[in-house]
Amino acid sequence: MKMDLYKSSRKSKTIPVWQQLMPQKFLLLFFLLLSSLIGKSQTNTITGNVADSTGKPLQGVTVATSNSKKAAVTNENGSFIIKTTSADRNLIFTYVGMKPFTQAISAGGLYNITLTPDITGLNDVVVVGYGTRKREAITGSIATVTSKDLDRVHAGSTVSTGLAGKLPGVTFRQPEGRPGASANIQIRNMGTPLYVIDGIQQDEGQFNNLAPNDVESISVLKDASAAIYGVRAANGVVVVTTKRGTTGRNSINVDAYAGWQSFFRFPKVLTSSYDYVNYRAAAEINRFGSTSFTQAEIDKYKQGEAAGPDYRSFDWRKYILAKPAPQNSVNVNISGGSDKVNYYVSATNLFQNSNLGSEYKFNRSNIQSNVTAKLATGLKVGMDINGRVETRENPGVPGGDDYFLARLAVLRNTPRERPYANDNPLYLNDLGAHLESNYAFLHKDLSGVYHSDWRVLQTNFNAEWQIPGIKGLTVKGIYSYFIADYLLNNQEFTYKAYTYFAPTATKPEEYRATGGSTNPWREREQIKQINTTAQGQLNYNNTFGDHAIGATFVAERLQTNRKRNWLHGSPVSNNLPLIYFPITDRYDDSDDKTSRIGYIARLTYGYANRYFLEASARRDASYLFAPGFRVGYFPGVSAGWRISEEPFFKSLVSSKRILSDLKLRGSYGQLGDDNPNNNPIVAPYAFLQGYNYNQGTAIFAGNAITISRDKGIPITNITWLKSKISDVGLDFSMLNGKLNGTMDYFYRKRTGLLGTKYDVVVPLEIGYTLPRENINSDAQFGEEMSLNYTSKIAEVKFNVGGNISYTRSKTLDFYKPRFSNSWDQYRNSGVNRFSRIDWGYEVTGQFTSQEQINGYNVNIDGRGNKTLLPGDLMYKDQNGDGVIDQYDQRPIGYGNGQPNINFGFTIGLVYRNFDFNADFSGAAGYTWFQNFESRWAFQNNGNLNTIFTDSWHHTDILDQNSPWVPGKYPANRYNIGFGHSDYEVNGQRNSTFWAHNVKYIRARTLQFGYTLPASVLNRVKIQRARIYVNAYNLFSIDNLKQFQTDPEISDDNGIQFPQNRVMNFGINLSL
Amino acid sequence: MKKILSITTLIVLLGIAGCKKDEDFLDIPPNAIIPSDVAFSDPALVLSILGDLYTRQLDFSNLKGRPNPESNLGNPNSPDVEAGWRTFADFSESFPSENGSSFLVQRTGWGYNEWRIDWQRSYAYVRELNLFIQRDSASTALSASDKLRFMAEARFLRANFYFDVVKRMGGVPLVTSTLQYDAAKGDASGVQLPRSKESDIYDFVISEAEAIKNQLPNDVNEKSRATKAAALAMEARAALYAGSIAKYGAATPLVALPGGEIGIPVSMSAGYYTKALAAAQEIINGSAGAYQLYKVLPDLSDNFAAIFLDKSSVNQESIFIEDFKAGAGKVQNYTVNNQPYSISDEGGDAGRLDPSLNLVEQFEKLDNTFAPLPTKNASGGLIYYDNQQDIFANRDARLAGTVLLPNGLFKGKRVDIWAGYQLADGSIISSDEAGNLKALPGTTDKVQVVGKDGPINGLEFRTQTGFYIRKWLDPTVGSGRRGRGSDVAFIRYRYAEVLLNAAEAAFELGQKGIAATYMNLVRARAGLTTPLSASDINFDRIVHERRVELAFEGHILFDYKRWRIAHLVWDGTPTTLPDLVANIGKATQRSTQPWGLWPYKIYNPGNSNNGKWIYKEVLPALVTGVNKFQFGNYYSAINDNITSLNPKIVKQPNQ
Repeated sequence: MKMDLYKSSRKSKTIPVWQQLMPQKFLLLFFLLLSSLIGKSQTNTITGNVADSTGKPLQGVTVATSNSKKAAVTNENGSFIIKTTSADRNLIFTYVGMKPFTQAISAGGLYNITLTPDITGLNDVVVVGYGTRKREAITGSIATVTSKDLDRVHAGSTVSTGLAGKLPGVTFRQPEGRPGASANIQIRNMGTPLYVIDGIQQDEGQFNNLAPNDVESISVLKDASAAIYGVRAANGVVVVTTKRGTTGRNSINVDAYAGWQSFFRFPKVLTSSYDYVNYRAAAEINRFGSTSFTQAEIDKYKQGEAAGPDYRSFDWRKYILAKPAPQNSVNVNISGGSDKVNYYVSATNLFQNSNLGSEYKFNRSNIQSNVTAKLATGLKVGMDINGRVETRENPGVPGGDDYFLARLAVLRNTPRERPYANDNPLYLNDLGAHLESNYAFLHKDLSGVYHSDWRVLQTNFNAEWQIPGIKGLTVKGIYSYFIADYLLNNQEFTYKAYTYFAPTATKPEEYRATGGSTNPWREREQIKQINTTAQGQLNYNNTFGDHAIGATFVAERLQTNRKRNWLHGSPVSNNLPLIYFPITDRYDDSDDKTSRIGYIARLTYGYANRYFLEASARRDASYLFAPGFRVGYFPGVSAGWRISEEPFFKSLVSSKRILSDLKLRGSYGQLGDDNPNNNPIVAPYAFLQGYNYNQGTAIFAGNAITISRDKGIPITNITWLKSKISDVGLDFSMLNGKLNGTMDYFYRKRTGLLGTKYDVVVPLEIGYTLPRENINSDAQFGEEMSLNYTSKIAEVKFNVGGNISYTRSKTLDFYKPRFSNSWDQYRNSGVNRFSRIDWGYEVTGQFTSQEQINGYNVNIDGRGNKTLLPGDLMYKDQNGDGVIDQYDQRPIGYGNGQPNINFGFTIGLVYRNFDFNADFSGAAGYTWFQNFESRWAFQNNGNLNTIFTDSWHHTDILDQNSPWVPGKYPANRYNIGFGHSDYEVNGQRNSTFWAHNVKYIRARTLQFGYTLPASVLNRVKIQRARIYVNAYNLFSIDNLKQFQTDPEISDDNGIQFPQNRVMNFGINLSL
Repeated sequence: MKKILSITTLIVLLGIAGCKKDEDFLDIPPNAIIPSDVAFSDPALVLSILGDLYTRQLDFSNLKGRPNPESNLGNPNSPDVEAGWRTFADFSESFPSENGSSFLVQRTGWGYNEWRIDWQRSYAYVRELNLFIQRDSASTALSASDKLRFMAEARFLRANFYFDVVKRMGGVPLVTSTLQYDAAKGDASGVQLPRSKESDIYDFVISEAEAIKNQLPNDVNEKSRATKAAALAMEARAALYAGSIAKYGAATPLVALPGGEIGIPVSMSAGYYTKALAAAQEIINGSAGAYQLYKVLPDLSDNFAAIFLDKSSVNQESIFIEDFKAGAGKVQNYTVNNQPYSISDEGGDAGRLDPSLNLVEQFEKLDNTFAPLPTKNASGGLIYYDNQQDIFANRDARLAGTVLLPNGLFKGKRVDIWAGYQLADGSIISSDEAGNLKALPGTTDKVQVVGKDGPINGLEFRTQTGFYIRKWLDPTVGSGRRGRGSDVAFIRYRYAEVLLNAAEAAFELGQKGIAATYMNLVRARAGLTTPLSASDINFDRIVHERRVELAFEGHILFDYKRWRIAHLVWDGTPTTLPDLVANIGKATQRSTQPWGLWPYKIYNPGNSNNGKWIYKEVLPALVTGVNKFQFGNYYSAINDNITSLNPKIVKQPNQ
């Protein structure tokens, strides 16, 4: 009875939350109210038709009058009707993707207008900090990607996963592919960037969990153009704009797809018990000198089941990973507008399963509602609502990472072990030490459930008023209220495991409970995060002849408040999901607030679309620093020169065919960072003196008391680090705009990194360390470029494009570093040196015979080479002293972070109703080390990673004296760990043998689509219908395939959850 | 429209007017920081600070810590990685049955950095103690009695801390007030202190104990805070250490520094022994409270084990403890890590601490004589035992109280320790999997052929020596779960050690009769009811008694160091079976590799020995190293970074 109640209460949670959150009826009423405001009173009427260059009518083209600002929209036949006043001189036609067109009004007549495609994108509007700019007027290094490109990727669940290779200067790495996983993206490897979504500063999680369908564009501010975001902008800024309704196009769009995911790559293991005992016996002999396996026993394994049930084999990898995991996504949005109201209302649901089983799942429902209404002439108000429910659920698994144990099970369980006692699925098999990795218990009934929800709602209220009397002056206010609510409930059950005893003459068969978990775990975590942003803006934009002037002033206040509690209990029964005091043993509580204030000013000046100048400054203050150290100023300046607009240039290059646009631009700015990579640069309240409460527990007289610790010396001198970015770039457009390109060089110098002044020598006996100071510096620099070509051959329209970027970092100055000797300086100095260097030994080869080992004069293993066997690694004795130790270490890798080199390219083809797209991306310049399961055989007393079948071994595995057969890896030693010189010498575990400088190029999206012809659709009143098939991560060309690992994973054991290979089928519908 | 505009304007203006000033907006009051002056006005908050100082005491051994340094992701060589009970697994006293800890038995001795203190953290702790003393004495809001007790407690902690430091490092700079570097002057010479003499540190510990002992409570039931008895127990042990370093240091003249930072003149030894005896006797005669040996349970082995488990007021043996409490945020994982595998609460966690045969052989027979555990008879034939534990019969009760023997009882279950079947022809049937079933020759029914707890060479978490640990192991339900953990307290000072300290001091002062009296008290509790006479007391007896009574309490290293026999016991020569069974009870008996004793069951149907037990002495296969203690190991290294920041600090000898 109790269980039933419990189940039904869980079911009630499955009502799609967006339905609850979106009061549709109310919304409809709101629209009706607004549309009734639309008035009418005019004199002349003009009619006409708009078509594209092929003569096809264009629906949804905005037609506006030059003076009275009346607007109309073309219908499905491309025709329009607009009323004009006598003051109107021109009609202006605008349409996304087409060059704007201005038609002088003459008396009477029917206007037939042809719009030509704008392939240069120079008139595209690009989102910059606190505003937008036409692409031709951009002076900073800003890369953008729009919904057109993002919508193609139907693989990862988060926005970042769709960005691989699409943005020059944005480095991409996705080490994890579990449901709901994100990719790591950085701008020029500068660190975690600032995210700004619809004008509000946000964190990475909020960015990633937008519905990709709702994203209109992503602008990446890579240089001083980010300076306008001040103290958080040092690592660049990602500015996201969500979709809005377009005037005149009321449409309902559906984008739905469903697909299957499977691990892109994962280590393979032995699947036969016979193989297993052979390799194990050999590995035991190599490690211990003997094995308990006899030839007779091995022979029985060769017979297999015929020799008895103990000699069967089990394929754990297939059992755990074979089933592809479904995923699907449905997005429905309605959008449109009149000259009074624009709206975009969207709901998306995404569901992802995992290869590990149907109980591992991720679900996210997003809503987005962006509505803007014109209340009066010059006054617009709007409300943007963004909400989501993000759910993660999986079996309750012991250990920190609930996706780990199932993957570990693939490598740890041997073919001799089986999941169920006597293969009876009612009885979990007791695998002894491997019981915790018996994948069969990872089901809700046995293991309990982990369930977490993020419920997030952000509401932005905004109002914009064009101040009457001053042309081009607007005032704008935004207030944003963000609430995120997290609830985690995890219960890990106790369970029993059984051993099967076959029937004997005297006893019937028996399943005896011989093991299991007696350790229940129950935790709950609750987070409430409330962020508010209030922003006031004053904008002025006007043109005087050839002079275009703009000014922006902003004041903003940001506040965050995060409350969290976590509690843990040990339930007395699996059937009690609630937590009461007697079973609780831990309770954590925190309440953290932050606040910042910014004042911003920006001036822009343009002359004749030829010269552009922009200057900005920001004054920021942060709660983090001691009073008196809170305020900082962050100026930036940039300029652009469109050489192609110069008369001399036009006379030089007369034809637009050759060079239609050429712009040189440069920028310099100072940015800040008080929170590098999401860690405050100085602990909050470090400037206060006192005791920190809650530093642990002491037990006095049997009672627990909460203890406090002295905070230490107050630190008042630390302020944010300063980042100075210079960037020079070139944008060009050639061959009538068919070929577009851009290139950039940048250099960022950061000063004020925290460090210790080493010339101040104080003994450690004083008991405190002098506070660090803002004294060190580093640099990040590199180049990037992109090229795009769009054209048409016969009926095939195509575009090809690519980008490549290179970035590297250096540590520059350290305040008077001290070294005890020249080796210390070589090994440990960072002065003017590339960052992220892996050190290790150089492997010069492998020993080929015992004689060679006996005669070798370098002590490799620290034990006179007594532990070496043929196949073992030969380290280079760099200093020739006859032993391998720390002095023989050299730089051997680039670190395991973001790639130093990133590139991507894309091909798009359209032929009649067929379209094809292919996106590729790749990277290089980071290092992955084989380790643990990927470094030696039988880690955790587990199965053998099949890469080690290619190892040095004896011809007769049970005979130590039989000759050696060469292989790729050193001879397998049973679960040796770091206990051998192949894997660790003198505390150093890295060597070139295990280091791999990764290079890869992988097919990201391959998509083939078919748009149903209009003739068919007209009959069913559908504007557009397209079906497609889409593959993600279909293949990869890289140098980690030989280790059976995905090239982007970062865990050195090789068993991280890899990215998935995904196949999808989908439809796009517009009603 | 006008209306809308004016309303909007009004709202905006009101909004602006309602705003806080910038500075007010940025000032967010902290909610978990107590200003110092507030803290020292409220005894509850002072106790909260003192609680932190108590939890940060330096213990060479305790019940905390991680099973192996690998399990901490940081640098395994860093002393930040709390060794805790891992120190029990070293010194050939036990085998560490965990892959990540195999290095303990595979190395050829110890580095000079071993056992050092984290200089920076240690002096940070000293500074906070000094700050506490300073702020406590400056406080005007506390009652006089509170102030005095808090102050005495902080001074006790400081003295006890310096004692643990001097044991490892010898003389160090003695900082007794807060040092302040004057950054404006930029001159650090004022805060550069040289190392004190080793004897100065001991003198400081002794004089502080004398100064505060009467300001501390005289209360047997106060165990986790300092008491008069705790101060005296510290004083007795410190004086004993100083006395023996003075006396036996004469035998190792190379282990000394000319300035006295290392080494104490032999002339001072008698003075220290006298102080040690006096301090110990002050406890023994009851003037610090009614302490007594724990004699509660009828079974003497159970009684011995219970000393370390019983936290009720019945236990008047423990003097000063680190207490834990389940469900209250302070527990330790000793039981999780070391419980027997087959009785484990936690599948993958067990059995890391397997006492060695070297230690087991030390436990005397009840007639006060030493003899190896008999595995073979005089003619070299195997001895067959009917019951698995028969071989351990008539031994010192502390053996079964300290070590969980094969077939021993824990939580009402028997540990399953046996290495396999031995057949009539001497061949062995066993398995590489613990508890595995096989058919024996001539049968088809499968039976278990090896213990669920091993021993199987290389199989971690199963015993490798044939023994599990019993001391400190918590039989409470749930104590072996990672989530709950154990709340058995670690006893830093207990009455039996005070008696042994008194005995040793008396012996060194030539008062062998007194020494015998005190030692007999401890031995009688262990079932050794035949008293030793004064003439039986010699150095070997003193050393032996401490080794068996205080095993796995963190004494062996420092005892062997102060007696200057560490380099003789751990001499770098492999331990042979003759080494193991000869010279038992001799202070300098070699013990460089942990041996095991593996039980086998006889399978020989029809023979009278069928089903009986035999035992074999085994050196576990993973033991490839040999412990070698060098002169440079007597005092841990002071690293270059410390001397370069304070050139007045001299280096250790022999390094």
